[in-house]
Amino acid sequence: MVADRPPFEDVYRDFLGRVYAYVRAQVGTSADAEDITAQVFMNAYQAYARFEPRHTTPAAWLFRIARNATLDHYRSHGRRERLRRTIEHQPMAEEDPASKAEERIQYQALLEHVARLPERQRDAISLRHSGLSFQEIGKLIGGSEDAAKMLYHRALKALKEAVAKESV
Amino acid sequence: MSDNHDEEVEIQALQRELDDAFQTTRPRTGFEDELWTRMQAQRPAPSRIRDALAGFFQGIREGPAVPAAALAAVLVVAIGVGIFAFSGFGRGSTPTAGSAGGASQFAAGAAGRAASFGRLPTPVFNPTPVGLAQPNAASPKDAGTLYSGPATLTWSGHLNLTISTAPVFRYFEPSANKADQFASGLGAALQARPAGLLGSYTASDYSLQVRGTVRSPAQSPTYFIVPDSTMPGVNAAGAGPADLASLFLAEHSLTPQWPSTVEVQTSGDQSRVRFVRQFDAPGYGPAPLVDTAGAHDGLEVDLNGNKVVRVAGLLPLSLDSSGYTIVSAEEAIRVAVTSSPQPAAGAGAPAVQLTQADLVYVLAPAGDHSFYEPAFLFSGTFQLNGTTMTKQVLVPAVDPSQRT
Repeated sequence: MVADRPPFEDVYRDFLGRVYAYVRAQVGTSADAEDITAQVFMNAYQAYARFEPRHTTPAAWLFRIARNATLDHYRSHGRRERLRRTIEHQPMAEEDPASKAEERIQYQALLEHVARLPERQRDAISLRHSGLSFQEIGKLIGGSEDAAKMLYHRALKALKEAVAKESV
Repeated sequence: MSDNHDEEVEIQALQRELDDAFQTTRPRTGFEDELWTRMQAQRPAPSRIRDALAGFFQGIREGPAVPAAALAAVLVVAIGVGIFAFSGFGRGSTPTAGSAGGASQFAAGAAGRAASFGRLPTPVFNPTPVGLAQPNAASPKDAGTLYSGPATLTWSGHLNLTISTAPVFRYFEPSANKADQFASGLGAALQARPAGLLGSYTASDYSLQVRGTVRSPAQSPTYFIVPDSTMPGVNAAGAGPADLASLFLAEHSLTPQWPSTVEVQTSGDQSRVRFVRQFDAPGYGPAPLVDTAGAHDGLEVDLNGNKVVRVAGLLPLSLDSSGYTIVSAEEAIRVAVTSSPQPAAGAGAPAVQLTQADLVYVLAPAGDHSFYEPAFLFSGTFQLNGTTMTKQVLVPAVDPSQRT
């Protein structure tokens, strides 16, 4: 029923921080995370009339949009960045220190490790710790609930090894 | 076996760290409001024009019959207003998303706007003070000499009201996630979610409880801090209770982000410092938040000497605002003097002269969202069995045609 759909303002206020954290764990800078998060909610706002709460939760619906926006960003960013580095022979850009200071982020190093995981593992960890169930993650990544659990646990082990390797 | 166990423990520790990482990573302050404003500005034209006209048509439905020619003329103006809003000059015509400060955003948005929150719930008043009582507290506070019985009321004061609209503020009911974010910002960790609370947390030297809106008697979302015995006193030689309270709040990142006035009650070593939440009503000035009995509401810090023994404050929330037509001073006075309960047959009722009236704000809960609505607080004193009693009357200020 349409009446079951919460006001968009509620969804916005409840999920903005979580979606931002999810996106922030995928991309290198807070500026990119803001741009993508803004795009996610712009898209969600326009599509909200079509959101059908009988079939999916607001979380699963929003994180699907967030995941697609992040993948789009990687596709276009990857092309642009390769082109730029080819032309300028420059290394990867560093995060602007000022924006880093403004952002409320802890566990920076841990999230950077997450961001370096292979795409599916990174997704599994980010979605799980953004509050999604394994069933919802399975649907998002095109697999079963059990497949999502296995992927998540493999990702955890890979992350643990990456963290341990750096601390050696 | 032991290796497996160790690995399991490490994995669990990593999961906890990930939980913390994702729960504490948030965009910079201000991003939420900026993005909301951008989204509102980019809404499709039909919905923006529809919003601009919605209040107007509601007014026509509820108002007296209007000659067709006049209606057509006003429609032209209204459509013009809609186009004006769409052009970007009238950005204030949609509800304004704001921070907990809230009041300041209204100035840009209220002028000429009608009732964009739709019809409002009528606040329910209760003569028994509730204030910022602890969750599940049994006894009210500050009952003092307030008189809530029947009375024959007259008005002999002066209510100079030059405004015909006042802002109404709306917030969405905070979720457990919102409470967790607030607690996390203070460095407190979730312990449990007891019934009736959004969360119960502990920090290094205090416990924190966060509660959502209480419908009856209406109370705002509130946090409660109870220090444990290890919390040191506030170290500020010679400082009075108000300064001690302000220092404590500043040290714990709890300084109110809204306009306030400070009231202090002292009895021996014990003090209560109250930061009264103010709302700005353009053309009138600051109006205090009161509870359903008319007592000032906001943030309370209880002190014993220089030690804080309890803090109870409004949970920081984002507020939207929208302008609403309010009743005239004459109508407010008429409602006030006829509002008192009638005495039982044969029973006498004291005669009370109401001598003062102020614009205040009261909470009107409405489910998944609630409103701070303007009201008039009338008061007068009288003698009852040798004791000076105070009679207070709260009258909703929003025009009845815009209330349910």
